[in-house]
Amino acid sequence: MALLHVLPWLAAAWLMAIGIYGMVTSRNYVHLIGCLSVVQSGTYVLLLAIGFVWGAGPPIFYDHPPGTPAVDPVMQALVLTDVVVGAAVTALLLALALQLQKRRKTLDPEELEPIP
Amino acid sequence: MTFVVAGCLVLVMLSGALVALTRRPPRQVLMISAHGLMLAMLFLALQAPDVAYSEIAVGTALVPVMFLTVLASARGGGRRNVPR
Amino acid sequence: MKYAVALRRCLCIAALIVLAPAVVLVALRMPVFGEKLPAYGATINAHVPSMRQATNVVAVVNFDVRALDTLGEEFIFVAATTGLAVLLRGGRGEDASGKPVHTDGRRLPARSEAIALLTRWMLPATAAYSIYVVAHGQITPGGGFQAGAILSSGLLLLFLGDGYRSWRRVMPPISMQLLEALGAVGCVGVGLVPMVAGALFFQNILPQGAHKSPFGGGLIPLMNLAVGMAITGGFANTMVEFLEETREPEEGEP
Repeated sequence: MALLHVLPWLAAAWLMAIGIYGMVTSRNYVHLIGCLSVVQSGTYVLLLAIGFVWGAGPPIFYDHPPGTPAVDPVMQALVLTDVVVGAAVTALLLALALQLQKRRKTLDPEELEPIP
Repeated sequence: MTFVVAGCLVLVMLSGALVALTRRPPRQVLMISAHGLMLAMLFLALQAPDVAYSEIAVGTALVPVMFLTVLASARGGGRRNVPR
Repeated sequence: MKYAVALRRCLCIAALIVLAPAVVLVALRMPVFGEKLPAYGATINAHVPSMRQATNVVAVVNFDVRALDTLGEEFIFVAATTGLAVLLRGGRGEDASGKPVHTDGRRLPARSEAIALLTRWMLPATAAYSIYVVAHGQITPGGGFQAGAILSSGLLLLFLGDGYRSWRRVMPPISMQLLEALGAVGCVGVGLVPMVAGALFFQNILPQGAHKSPFGGGLIPLMNLAVGMAITGGFANTMVEFLEETREPEEGEP
């Protein structure tokens, strides 16, 4: 069906859009960091969908001989490292939010004025 | 096979929207965990077992625990806050 | 100022609606989903399994063909965990403290014997599984990144079952920091090993080994091990720093 030809691209765009909307209208910095992780997951979906081929198996040739159709391993290598390192960057952002809460006693973006 | 991939994509879109639209952080943490699980299922449907491995371990266990500890220390009033 | 939030929400929705036709146009112009394999991936799938005695092509791409990118990602990880430690310890000092933070109206639950027993059983199983994953990283799905994430989330089980104090005594943070540092240095060292023999940085010149063997693949098992150590140490360190934030200082401390 024609929708399936474009569904992954639309899904990636939807994840980024809803994540950005959540970030813009957020009232809590921890909620904002969660929405950022949704935006990141949109990029993972996009990368993996680019490398996908119907009727192909994973690029692991343990059971079947090399030469059987397989999906793209380069995209999987990119997303693999991205997932783990993205979690570390999320941790760094959470530490920033924690420090903010300690110093300004609030996690609400609306209540924070620029320091004069 | 096409229905599996399409179904997983729709589930990922749904859980992503739930993560962004859940405003209270303690509830959003569980949504993040569920979103990680849906993503791992999508990665398996897209024939990527390595990526699904990482996503399950990181997105379901490690990241929600980080969020929960930050929420716990923020709730405690930031008692260890000595701006030195 | 509630109207500021409402204004921002309307602006955001308006912007997304204006951009939506562009998204649909781009989605229609993208290649059809699942029709054609990208050229680089097709080349690698065709040639790499005969060049390296490693059947997990993703691991070969990660640790051999594009090892330089993995080195960069590794150092992003080290930088993020270092920045986190600097941020959190700068406001708090380096020592460990005893009591959990007391919040009004909430009792701390008592320690449960069943959970302690269960986590003590599950931790060695998880550790053995993660060592299996890192050792067979180039044959079956797995590798350093996955194993590091699995092992560090397994270490959290100890905190769940036995409490914060015994967790810190069993797993001193200095060991986790050493593990991460050794892993990061090991990544670079593995790349320098071929240069000692006169080859290029990260060129895979070690003997390839038998087919489907855990020791095959030349430099790949070493790089797997280094990355696994670094990721484990990094995530465990992150957990220690975050959990330390939930503790209250003892009497007499600031």
